Amino acid sequence: MKNTKRLAALGMAALMSLSLLAGCGDKVETSVSETSKEANTEASAEVKEEVKVDGANGSVYYLNFKPEQDEQWKALAAEYTAQTGVEVAVVTAASGNYETTLMSEMGKSGAPTMFQVNGPVGLANWKDYCYDLKDSQVYGELTSDGFALKSDDSVLGIAYVIESYGLICNKTLLATAGYSVDDIKSFADLKKVAEDITARKDELGFAAFSSAGMDGSSDWRFKTHLANLPLYFEYQQDGIGTTTAIKGSFLDNYRNMWDLYVNNSTCEGKDLAAKTGDDSRNEFLNKEAVFFQNGSWEYGNLVGDGKFTDDDLQMIPIYVGAGDEANQGLCTGTENYWCVNKEAKAEDIQATLDFLYWVVSSERGTAAMADEMNFVIPFKNAKESSNLFVKQDREYTAAGKLPVSWNFPTMPSEEWKNGVGQALTAYAADSTDDNWSAVVDAFVNGWAAEYALLEQ
Amino acid sequence: MEKALKKSAPIFVLPTLVAFIIGFIIPFGQGLYLSFCKFTTVSNAKWVGIGNYKYAFSDPSFGRSFIFTVMFAVVSIVLINLFAFTLAVLLTQNLKGTNIFRTVFFMPNLIGGIVLGYIWQILINCLLTIIKEPLLALNSKAGYWGLIILMCWQQIGYMMIIYIAGLQNVPDSLIEAASIDGATKWQTLFKIKIPMVMSSITVCVFLTLTNSFKLFDQNLALTGGDPNHSTEMMALNIYQTFYARSGNQWKGYGQAKAVIFCVLVIFISLFQLKATRSKEVQQ
Amino acid sequence: MKKKNSIGSAVLSTILSILSLLWVYPVIMILLNSLKKESSISTGTVFILPNKESFVGLENYIDAINSKGFLQSLGYSLFITVTSVLAILVFCSMCAWYITRIESTFSKALYYLFVFSMVVPFQMVMYTLSQTADRLHLNTPWNIWIIYLGFGAGLAVFMFCGFVKSIPVEIEEAALIDGCNPVQTFFKIDFHMLSSTMVSVGILEAMWVWNDYLLPTLVLDIKKYKTIPMLIQYFRGSYGRVEMGPMMACIMLTIIPIIVIYLSGQKYIIKGVASGAVKG
Repeated sequence: MKNTKRLAALGMAALMSLSLLAGCGDKVETSVSETSKEANTEASAEVKEEVKVDGANGSVYYLNFKPEQDEQWKALAAEYTAQTGVEVAVVTAASGNYETTLMSEMGKSGAPTMFQVNGPVGLANWKDYCYDLKDSQVYGELTSDGFALKSDDSVLGIAYVIESYGLICNKTLLATAGYSVDDIKSFADLKKVAEDITARKDELGFAAFSSAGMDGSSDWRFKTHLANLPLYFEYQQDGIGTTTAIKGSFLDNYRNMWDLYVNNSTCEGKDLAAKTGDDSRNEFLNKEAVFFQNGSWEYGNLVGDGKFTDDDLQMIPIYVGAGDEANQGLCTGTENYWCVNKEAKAEDIQATLDFLYWVVSSERGTAAMADEMNFVIPFKNAKESSNLFVKQDREYTAAGKLPVSWNFPTMPSEEWKNGVGQALTAYAADSTDDNWSAVVDAFVNGWAAEYALLEQ
Repeated sequence: MEKALKKSAPIFVLPTLVAFIIGFIIPFGQGLYLSFCKFTTVSNAKWVGIGNYKYAFSDPSFGRSFIFTVMFAVVSIVLINLFAFTLAVLLTQNLKGTNIFRTVFFMPNLIGGIVLGYIWQILINCLLTIIKEPLLALNSKAGYWGLIILMCWQQIGYMMIIYIAGLQNVPDSLIEAASIDGATKWQTLFKIKIPMVMSSITVCVFLTLTNSFKLFDQNLALTGGDPNHSTEMMALNIYQTFYARSGNQWKGYGQAKAVIFCVLVIFISLFQLKATRSKEVQQ
Repeated sequence: MKKKNSIGSAVLSTILSILSLLWVYPVIMILLNSLKKESSISTGTVFILPNKESFVGLENYIDAINSKGFLQSLGYSLFITVTSVLAILVFCSMCAWYITRIESTFSKALYYLFVFSMVVPFQMVMYTLSQTADRLHLNTPWNIWIIYLGFGAGLAVFMFCGFVKSIPVEIEEAALIDGCNPVQTFFKIDFHMLSSTMVSVGILEAMWVWNDYLLPTLVLDIKKYKTIPMLIQYFRGSYGRVEMGPMMACIMLTIIPIIVIYLSGQKYIIKGVASGAVKG
């Protein structure tokens, strides 16, 4: 008797929750039942053949990775909506939270229709969600097939920005110290110049390097970008493109460079842990340091009213004393690939493809990417960028220098980068051999351990 | 009366029950089930048996987070209760301005964990800069003590209020009788007051214990587990396993860790229940 | 004897005053720094008072309010807190009354389930709860109170049950004989008698909902909605930009209303906490 009563109550509860389901229909357009979702993805191939009518009913949700361009993307999205009536939502993840945000958003019904991965390793995790862009218009716009991220013969990601990084150098300050960029052609030159500046630091009133901050807003410059160099040279030496077991053959060069940054900095090594990206940039802007390791994306922050002019700055390669230094160029590549979520509804996928095509081919879209976001984009209609560092990269290449490719997308995980970063920070605070062997351990053993996890 | 009431059961029980089913029963059941699965969404779960638990128990970071949590809990429980009780005794002495003090000490309790974490992160980093020590992101010792100081700052006021309520329930006649018998202030404190507020002490100890074990927001905002997961407590470790790692095996691991964590917290609470009950019998 | 006492209490008062100052210092520090220019806030200079050069008045506050949709978030946070707490108070007290008054396996089982849910840590259900909420579209500020009602029911029902037990059944029976139906009886008689417990439960739940970070982050549709605790994360920007000034201003803006409410109703709040905890 009691049991039946309980059952009845539970039954009623179930009924109530069902009616709730029906009642909360304020977002019906995004609700997809599992079955129709699958049917849609299968049907999408045919649907796409038809005209874009389909996409007009869809909507776009872009989970953006680059917070610097958050406002520009939102503005561009609004313009697109005004023109076509297609809704485009742009959400930018808070710094360091992209994976967490993507992970929790992908589990929801209104999942992002467009997201980004940072290369083959990132792709491995999200492959099951990537729509094959082989037949898409946006793929046809790419200037080179090398900018597509492929798996077997499907195109799963498309690079949307090409970037370079190196040592940004304040030529005016360098001249004050009695040097010019032409004096720096190798690691030995760089070391000589930097240590000379440090020796005369009080007299000159500036340091060689802006602080190599290890705060989360800045540590990627070293645990990822600088770490690319030992990776690149090892891959070159072994003639490979990726590996599950790194040897660390060039870690001594990595150490020398890191020592140089730490010992010739605006601040003491143990203060680096809390220095932010802002701190480092402000030091450079305030003419407290000659060199600032960063990339072409910094252009907008460095040049402008009350800041530098194009004549003050030059980006030079990061020499670490390995390989053919005479012919080394800037580090140029990409770790930003667009992917389209294949689990999304067919009309949303179409809307996303339309939006992408508009962004990379229309006058407004390419102008926004070149001028407002300061991107160099690998698409046929790309507008010439006004970015000084991009021009300098082109000059280096024209002079026969070989760009250093971006190998850090083959790093096994964020976890690995963090491990290296922590060890680097500890070493900066106390530069002992023991602390360096912790860096080597994080680099080499951490690499193997993280790849072992990936293969599970 | 029962009959009439039973007829209107749906009105009384259903709203809460439905929400409870949505907000707790279904997620809990699913969570339990998914801890035995490999999954990226609820709909694509694949049964893998106890593999996730095996991983969770062999994951060194999870074990470390457990030890860290225990170390944190023990120290913070002692400090918080000691300070809170002392303050409560002082503030029941009819001093001037007692109300102001009470108000001030309780205030941090109203501020959210994330905000608290950021406030103290700024403050502690500045202190560390001045004494020329490595900052929080690199300094697990500072991270540990930082969390404890933060927790004390937040919780002492709350526990103090409970102790004050307990102390005010001690009958004045008892204390008067004691002073007539020539008891000193200390004797009154140890022989009369403390035994009389034993139940408050149990409540506070277990409140601080469960609060310490479940701590998440403060941990995330103050240290985020840095350096290298060494200040990561269990709740944060589970969250990181769930959302910071990509790859389809991690969700299952995270859910298994969550179940283990849940069992642990339930165990503590059962222990609490038993302890409180036995105290009640004594009185 | 008397003299000694007054000296002692003076010493005590002084110690307590110093301690109180220490206690409010973190908040004062944030307040002072939020009035400074952004470049004057760094780890080395936080303890320096704002001076002529670094003082920027309310600029950071204006920035904070304008830049990230602060007012919107404040509105969402307020709405969510108010609706959730109201729902919890009304529905849980009704539910608690029923399961205390009717002795059946059903109500017993329910009671223990509620108590059980009080103990379970959020991490246990965080993923599945966010999925369930998403499926039912309970992901807007307008209906997230259902989630809060469900997850917060445990504590509320538990506390209400404790109090309902102490209300004599005779009064209710008298009302029933006078022709009231159970619903009227409950709202006419018990609802008022429960008012002090209502205050304690309301305060505890309001503190939880207002400050909650993880649940709304996982459940809400972040395309459109952010609550205040979520918003503060976004000042800790992005790839090299930590907007310290506006962030501190935002922290102050979040704290000030709480402190004002607390100061104006502190009697109830402290009483509520005390009675709530003693029962819990």
